[in-house]
Amino acid sequence: MNGRPISRAMSAWFFAAIATVGVGHGRTAVAQTDQPAPGAAVAVTEVRQMVTDADKDIERYATSGGAAGAADHPAIKWNAALWQVHARSPHSEAGAIAAAEAIELLIRAELWDRAHGRVESLDADDPAWERVPSALYSEGIARKRFEYTVATLAKTAASTKTPSIKSAALLIIGRVDRRQGDLPAATRSLEEARAAAPGTPQATEADGLIYEIEHLSPGLPAPPISGTPRNAHGAITLESFRGKPIVLVFWAST
Amino acid sequence: MEEVPLLKALHAKYSDRAVFLGISVDISVDRADRAVTSKGMTWLQLADGKGFDGAIPQAYHVQGTPELFVLDRAGRIFAKPASAKAIEARLQEALARPPQ
Repeated sequence: MNGRPISRAMSAWFFAAIATVGVGHGRTAVAQTDQPAPGAAVAVTEVRQMVTDADKDIERYATSGGAAGAADHPAIKWNAALWQVHARSPHSEAGAIAAAEAIELLIRAELWDRAHGRVESLDADDPAWERVPSALYSEGIARKRFEYTVATLAKTAASTKTPSIKSAALLIIGRVDRRQGDLPAATRSLEEARAAAPGTPQATEADGLIYEIEHLSPGLPAPPISGTPRNAHGAITLESFRGKPIVLVFWAST
Repeated sequence: MEEVPLLKALHAKYSDRAVFLGISVDISVDRADRAVTSKGMTWLQLADGKGFDGAIPQAYHVQGTPELFVLDRAGRIFAKPASAKAIEARLQEALARPPQ
């Protein structure tokens, strides 16, 4: 049932194509609707619609008492439907989003083995890898263990030829190291992540995390603060409060 | 802003033993002032109207709000609570440490 909306859309797309090239090609095109040609485009918006439908379906399942990790979890069929989109056009934007979303559905459903099967079937240069590292980080947080996350990302970082994927994988390894309190290892991974893909969002994120490790780790002197409070008289500095703990609240009115 | 009631309760409970310092990342000091008054956030408030680009948010690598830090008695980073709910336990730990 999950494949149907896409098949319908595909038919419409092919009929539109027939109209432009002439009726003579009609038979070939109609035959292709049953089995889309490799590389046949599925629109990103269609993938997003599938994901929206999947989320609703899974929410219904959860509110009616369905358990995570169960063999009848709707994430399984939605994963299969999304994976078909990926199989049709693995290196397109829609295919990459479909694969990443498919894996995220399984991880949120705590179907770890199925998720790992999909992850391990991805080519190291599949653009879905831009997002898979974050999904594996979520898995580690949920399971309170990061062995699989780190081992898998290390393997991908070593074998991919795509700088942004290497950077994304190393970035998450750095996050895991930091979370586990190994700051020297975290700094090394993050520096590698930054060097792998300069100028990318991953590099910027790595840069920020390195800054936090170097300047904002527990035990380090807090960065200086000085100014005149809006609601008090006279200037303050952190030193003026020495001897008392301080709670800093960064906030916004909206 | 939904964490304000909790912050007010913490401030009321600990203001004699700890300092509460708000740093607005608003791009308008007037907006910040109005919110301080209307929400009754009576602890010390700094605002420069420079948003996330202000010197203090930059130095603390603030990416969103609310972002919270607990500093120890010597002015060192002690904890970065993920939410207002998580402040109290860390603040008590910081209070339990003797000045050094």
